[in-house]
Amino acid sequence: MTAAIEAEGLTRVLVDHAPVTLIQDCSLAVEAGEMVAIVGPSGCGKSSLLYLLGLLDRPSAGELRIEGAPTSELTDAERTRTRLERIGYVFQFHFLLPELTAQANVELPMRRLGALSGREITERADALLMQLGLGDEVHRRPDRLSGGQRQRVAIARALANNPKILLGDEPTGNLDSANTQIVIETFQKLAHEEGRAVVCVTHDAQVAAAADRRLSMLDGRIVDGE
Amino acid sequence: MIVFRVLLGVALAHLQVRVRQTLVATLGVAVGVGFFLAVSGMMVGSQNDFIRTLIDSAPHIIVRDEQRNASRQPALDAFPGAAIAIHHVRPQDEVRGLKDWPALLADARAIPGAIAAPSLNGGVSAGFAGRTAPLALNGVDPRLEGRLTNIEDTLVGGRLQDLEARPDGIIISKPLADRMGAHVGDTLVVSASAGAVQRMRIVALSDPSARAGFYAGDTTAYGLLRTAQVLFARPNIVNQIHVKIADPQQADAAAAQLEARWGYKWESWQERSRDILNLLVVRNIIMYAVIGAILMVASFGIYTAVSNSVTDKRRDIAILRAMGFTGRDVEGMFLIEGLVVGVVGAVFGFAFGTLLLEALAHAPLTLQGKPLSLPLDRGPSQYFLAGASSLAAALVAAWLPARKAASVDPVDILRGAA
Repeated sequence: MTAAIEAEGLTRVLVDHAPVTLIQDCSLAVEAGEMVAIVGPSGCGKSSLLYLLGLLDRPSAGELRIEGAPTSELTDAERTRTRLERIGYVFQFHFLLPELTAQANVELPMRRLGALSGREITERADALLMQLGLGDEVHRRPDRLSGGQRQRVAIARALANNPKILLGDEPTGNLDSANTQIVIETFQKLAHEEGRAVVCVTHDAQVAAAADRRLSMLDGRIVDGE
Repeated sequence: MIVFRVLLGVALAHLQVRVRQTLVATLGVAVGVGFFLAVSGMMVGSQNDFIRTLIDSAPHIIVRDEQRNASRQPALDAFPGAAIAIHHVRPQDEVRGLKDWPALLADARAIPGAIAAPSLNGGVSAGFAGRTAPLALNGVDPRLEGRLTNIEDTLVGGRLQDLEARPDGIIISKPLADRMGAHVGDTLVVSASAGAVQRMRIVALSDPSARAGFYAGDTTAYGLLRTAQVLFARPNIVNQIHVKIADPQQADAAAAQLEARWGYKWESWQERSRDILNLLVVRNIIMYAVIGAILMVASFGIYTAVSNSVTDKRRDIAILRAMGFTGRDVEGMFLIEGLVVGVVGAVFGFAFGTLLLEALAHAPLTLQGKPLSLPLDRGPSQYFLAGASSLAAALVAAWLPARKAASVDPVDILRGAA
C-alpha cells in the first residue's frame, strides 16, 4: 500500500548568511488512516519538517512523495495546486481571515479550487461546521467566536477540499484542556474513521499520547520513532 | 471568474475594515478625476472652438498663383544629368494670375462636397475726407464666398450679398472706418497700382468684436470680383481660388493631391495654421502633464492604502498561500483593492467633474462687456480618458505593494507567528 506521505533523507539548509541546517536527513512514512505526532524541544525543527511535508518549503536534499508522487520536480504552481487539493493545514493560531464569517473562511479553499458550484460550496461549508459542532456559528466572524470555536473553524477550513493529508502545527497550543480534547477527538476521527493521514507537531503530551505513533526530533533529526 | 470573485470578496473585506484610509484614497482619486474633467474640458473645449474658428473663418484650401519652387531652366530639362550650372539668369516676368482657372475651379469642385469660388486679390489705396489708407482688396463672388467662410457673421451695417446689388460696393473693417471717419453709405476713392481709380461705396463693415466669426484684419476689404478685375485692369483673371470641403480634416491631403496635378500652391488651413497647431500640441502636452501629476498625487493615497493593507495582512497572505492560493492570486487580490478604489473614485470623480463643468458653463463671465460663455468639451472621450487614466494610476499604485505581497514567503511569516 502506498504511504500518504513518504520522506527520504529530507534535509533543509538555510543559506542566507552562514548556512544553518534546520532539518537533516529525515525519513518517515505516514499511512492513510494514521495519526502521527512529531514531538521534541522548541527549535528542534518540528515546524520546519512540517512545512517541508506540506510543500510550503523546498528541501535542500532528499525526496518527498505525496500519495506516491515525487514532489522534487514540481513547479511552484504544481506544489500550490497539490497543497490546495491534497493537504490541509491547521496552525497553533487559527489564522482565520478576520473580515470573513466562519462560513466564508471555510468556503475560501473550495472557491479557489472551483470544483463545486457556489451553492454546493456553501452547503459543504455548513455541513463541515455542523460536523464540528458549529452549526449555529456559521455567520459569525472570528472575533465573535471562542478560541476553541475558532480552531474548529480552522479545522473545517483545512478539510474543505477533502484533503487526504491533514497537518497540524501545535493545533492545541492555544486551547484549554476541554477544547484540546475536542480537537484530539476530531483528529482521531479524521484519521481512523475517514482514512486521512494526520501529522501533528506538538508539545502537548495529551495530543502525543492520542497519536498512533510518535516521532521524536532533536537538532533537526528524527531520533526516535515508535 | 470564480477566483476573481473570491479575491474581490477578500479585497472588499480588507477595504471595509480600513474605512478612513479607503475613503481618503477614494476621495483623492475623485478630486483628481474631477479636476481632470474640468481642466481638460476647458482646454480641449477652447482648443476645439479655436480650431473650429480657424476652419470656418477662411477657406479650407486657398489656391494661389504662385509655386513653391522657381520653375526649372529649360537647359536642365534638355540635358538631364549633364554638368550644367546656370548663374545670374534674369527671371522672365510672368503674367500673374491662375492660368486655365475655370478648369482648376472645376477640379476643385470635383472634390466630394466641395464649394469653390474664384477671387482676385490685390493692394489698393482708399481715400476719404483727405485721409488715405492701404487696403488688401479681395474681389469675390458674394454668393459663393458667404458659403465658404463665416465672414457674414462679422459684418455690421450690411450684408455680403449687398455687393451684388451695388457693383461699386466695398466692405472695410470697422476700426479702419472709425479711423477715417467713414460710415456705411459713404463713398471711398479707391485707386489701384495699375492707375485705375474708382469710387466705391461702403455697404457693410467687418467688426472685430463680433466674436461669431474670424476677423481678417483692419486692412482687409471685400468687393465684387468683376469690380476688382476692372480696378486691377485684369479682366477675366483670378489669382486665388477658395475651396471649402465637406471634411476639413482632409484639406491637407486634398491640397497635396491637387497641387501635384496643377503645380500651383494649394494651401490648406492646416498649412496656414501650422505654427498655431504646433503650439496647441505643446499646450496639450503641458495640460496632460499637469493633469497626470494631479492623478499621480491621487494615486499616492492608493499606494499608501494598499501598502498598509499588505503590511497588516501578512499573516492572511501566509495562510492563503498555505491554503493553496498562488502568489499571483495574492498579487491580484491587492491589485483589485487598488482597482476598486480607482473605480469608485472615478465614479465619484465623474460626478464631481460634471458639477465643476456645469459651474464653469454657467459662470457669469464677461469679456469687453459682453457675456462670455466658456467653450467646454463635455464629450464622452474626456470621461473615458479621465476614467482610464485614473484606473491606470490606481493599478500602478497598487501594483508596487501587490508585487511585494506576492513575493512574501509564507514560511517566514508562519515561523515568525509560531
